[in-house]
Amino acid sequence: MIAPLGRILILASLFAAAAGALIGFYAGRTRSAEGLRWARRFAYAYAASIIAATLVMVYALLAHDFSVSYVAQVGSTQIPTWVTVVSLWSSLEGSILFWGMVLGIYIAAATYFTRERHEEYQPDAIGVWLGTAAFFSFLIAGPANPFHTVANPPLDGPGPNALLQNHVLMAIHPPFLYLGYVGMTIPFGFACAALIKGRLGHNVLKPIRESLMLPWIFQSVAIMLGGWWAYEVLGWGGYWAWDPVENASLLPWLTATAALHSIMVVERRGILKGWTVTLIQATFLLVILGTFMTRSGVFNSVHSFTQSAIGPTILGFLAASLLFTVALLAFRIDKLEPEGRIEGAASREAMFLINNLLFVLLTFTVLIGTVFPLIVEAVKGKQMSVGRPYFDSMSIPLGALLLFILGVGPALPWGRATAAQVKKALLPPILGAVVFLIAGYLFGARTPWTLITLAFGGYAAQVTLGQMFVPMLQRMRNGDSFAGAFVEGQLRRGRRRFGSYIVHAAMIVVIIAIAISSSMRTQTELHFVKGQTQQAGGYDVTFQGVEQRSEPHRLSTIGVFTVAKDGKEITRLEPRMNQYQTMREPIGSPDVHTTALRDVYISLSNVDTLNQTASITVFVAPLVVWIWLAVIAMALGALFAMIPARRAVIVTTSEASGKDSLPNRTAPETA
Amino acid sequence: MNRTVLLVGLIIAAVLVAVLFAGLGKNPAEIRSPLIGKTAPTFALREVGTSRTVDVTQFRGKPMVVNFWATWCGPCWEEHPVLVANARMLQPQVQFLGVVFQDKEDKILGFLNQRGSSYPTVVDDAGKTAIAYGVGGVPETFFIDANGVIQAKYSGPMSPDVLRENLQKVMKQ
Amino acid sequence: MIAVLLLLLQLRVPDAAQFVGPPKGAPLAGEALEKRTNEVGRLLRCPVCQGMAVSDSPAEMAVNMKGQVRELLARGYTEEQILQYFEKSYGEFVLLRPKSPVLWMLPVAAFLLGGIVVFLKLKKLERAPPTANRQPFDSAQGRPPTEDPYLSRVRDLVSGGKQ
Repeated sequence: MIAPLGRILILASLFAAAAGALIGFYAGRTRSAEGLRWARRFAYAYAASIIAATLVMVYALLAHDFSVSYVAQVGSTQIPTWVTVVSLWSSLEGSILFWGMVLGIYIAAATYFTRERHEEYQPDAIGVWLGTAAFFSFLIAGPANPFHTVANPPLDGPGPNALLQNHVLMAIHPPFLYLGYVGMTIPFGFACAALIKGRLGHNVLKPIRESLMLPWIFQSVAIMLGGWWAYEVLGWGGYWAWDPVENASLLPWLTATAALHSIMVVERRGILKGWTVTLIQATFLLVILGTFMTRSGVFNSVHSFTQSAIGPTILGFLAASLLFTVALLAFRIDKLEPEGRIEGAASREAMFLINNLLFVLLTFTVLIGTVFPLIVEAVKGKQMSVGRPYFDSMSIPLGALLLFILGVGPALPWGRATAAQVKKALLPPILGAVVFLIAGYLFGARTPWTLITLAFGGYAAQVTLGQMFVPMLQRMRNGDSFAGAFVEGQLRRGRRRFGSYIVHAAMIVVIIAIAISSSMRTQTELHFVKGQTQQAGGYDVTFQGVEQRSEPHRLSTIGVFTVAKDGKEITRLEPRMNQYQTMREPIGSPDVHTTALRDVYISLSNVDTLNQTASITVFVAPLVVWIWLAVIAMALGALFAMIPARRAVIVTTSEASGKDSLPNRTAPETA
Repeated sequence: MNRTVLLVGLIIAAVLVAVLFAGLGKNPAEIRSPLIGKTAPTFALREVGTSRTVDVTQFRGKPMVVNFWATWCGPCWEEHPVLVANARMLQPQVQFLGVVFQDKEDKILGFLNQRGSSYPTVVDDAGKTAIAYGVGGVPETFFIDANGVIQAKYSGPMSPDVLRENLQKVMKQ
Repeated sequence: MIAVLLLLLQLRVPDAAQFVGPPKGAPLAGEALEKRTNEVGRLLRCPVCQGMAVSDSPAEMAVNMKGQVRELLARGYTEEQILQYFEKSYGEFVLLRPKSPVLWMLPVAAFLLGGIVVFLKLKKLERAPPTANRQPFDSAQGRPPTEDPYLSRVRDLVSGGKQ
């Protein structure tokens, strides 16, 4: 009963998407208002049917209906309820269904929120969105069908992959990732519409910016959660290995970040339109590439789903999207003429241009590193690897340059600047650089790149703090009280600016934390007998013994350790080896003691219950927790920046000041 | 029309799709051995359950099948009967040899006693021989010709067909 | 006892010397040895794990390989020799730091090419004619830049975007 219902709903979504896409493009050509209305209806119909199908699947999972093929594949009556919900995205077919649902929600929301004042672009945008949706519904209906009917339903199932049950972060990392990935379809649709129309006007710039920002926030958090999960679960003490699937999530984030910056220059100066649109197209294409990389089995990765038939299908869609995008860009990009100019290299506009370049370079480097083994194998038949040493060598200098621009860019004014102005802008933050450098050195940082990062970071920090509070300071100069100026200038009127600089400040913290935690990390391998104490990373570690804990789905062998410093006990750590019923090999699970200053991390490599011995690796790394916290701050800052400003304040030309300080724009900004 | 964009775009698109397409169907976890066509590293290891040494050079002049395995490996259980039967059949023309690493002596003996054995099994304690042979996992089987040159390597459980196919490569001479 | 001694004399395990000759560097010990073991281990790929380094992987194969690295370093083998040894038995696949010079040059080439592109773009934008007055740009292309932006929005809405 459920499986056929699911299949019907998927077919309905496929029909709605395909028909809606065609109608959308038709309405775009004929500018028919009726056509647009129908396109919208089909968009909502697609959303409704795919969301319903997903809810049906969730119901089937919770009800343990093993007559549905996906439930038979990942369901189990032995697992906790939250794992049952999580199993929706734990395996390939379910994850594509989940993708469809997220896409449905995004398309419905985008259609609804841009239904007024954006009629020029909506038809083509809807066409692109629903075209993408049709492809994913096709996948769900065909090669990746989770709604097959199982002829003889089993009484129970194997449950999802045991690794995924190890930690609660498994529950939230994938949804965030999908909310990021899938969401990039929306700005892509608008950008395509802009290219088709040959115009990148204000009434499409705003939807592009907002529809890019939201998925970007989710993607940022998703990447952080992935790193955090790897750190807490995998046991090697690190959080980023440049694994192909990790890179797949980073690539669209890089181009999206560049696009978010580039769009600012379009809004203010009317230049870099072609760059901006290309970056948005690239983001979407990298999303499709990313999903191909994860699901095709072509790449050797910790995250890969098993090889399946959908690889070639996704590649086909990628090829089609590439052709469509290249053709669209080639034929239409020249229509997006620049409407402004750059006054000189020492201007904020020029910095944005360089910023674009650096992000594109980083994207290119990560992409080429990931794909190079495939190229070599195709051309020479030789197998080779590109691992952390390569990616680290390339990304560290580029990251440092980006941090440098993060400081210098906002310091420089828009437009023409005299030599005196440039000096006044660029020299004072050197103080910040020196302060951070000294502080870092005292903290223990010694490696050259870490010191460079600290210097650039300190410079950027001073610039960011300075720029962040300009609105408030200006109001205070005009006579407002501190509180009044803060509330009016930062919270009510200057949200976009304030939020953006919070994002920058957070980014500085992330980069410095990554630099210090990697370069100052200690790794010690020790072998213990019960009761023994040994030193690691400045701490005294005592082995208390082995414990065993039994749960319905797994047996845990736990090594109990106490960690002390200067005679005082700090914490008790219990790294374990989990033996799951469904897996042959046990899975190790480290234990971490996190403080603001440093993490003490113990990973169990060997444990003998009989003889009460254990082999462990102890990692001590400073400032790790700041990576996670700063990304959360980054997300909050960006969300704050997104809160809509008050309704348009129409200012006549005489009041237009063209100054940078206050965010009131003279072009009508719709709420 | 912007020719630069078209050209650059099409080139990137074509290269990317071609490379990804070429990668489909290949198993990225399967590593090909660089030792094929090279002389097999020599070793002398202790036969399990005894204090006798088995030196691989003593079999020079005969084609050899060297099988790396362990008792905790499922596919090794599958392929064991195939190896035992074929070894019995093909002796003394072809010499079979089992090498176990990362395992416990009593478990290996128990396994062999229970499931039979028709050729020597040696223990590679620290896995150094495995490393010299570039063994990534178990089971892996090497086919060495009468001159001591590795002619083939197979990763995964041995089936009669695969065994026959690879034996042909070393029995040609 | 004698049998054991005789046995030990007879045992022979394939050695790195077979592959890369005698050690070319100084033997290491203690903390320096551990540190270098981890460093070199991070350059070697664990063949059974998905892309992890030998230093980071808990798999027994990786532990074996790391042990072999430690022993070779203790005997005075250099990093280059150790990597060569593993490359001979496992293939280039096992090296996490790629040897290909093309791969290392590509980002540099891209950086230079990108720099040129940006420089040219900068020059092109500097040469563009200055805007009529200091108003922020108006989204409506083809309309006089001095037009009241509110008026142009009304035009936008009424004409449905037609120019």
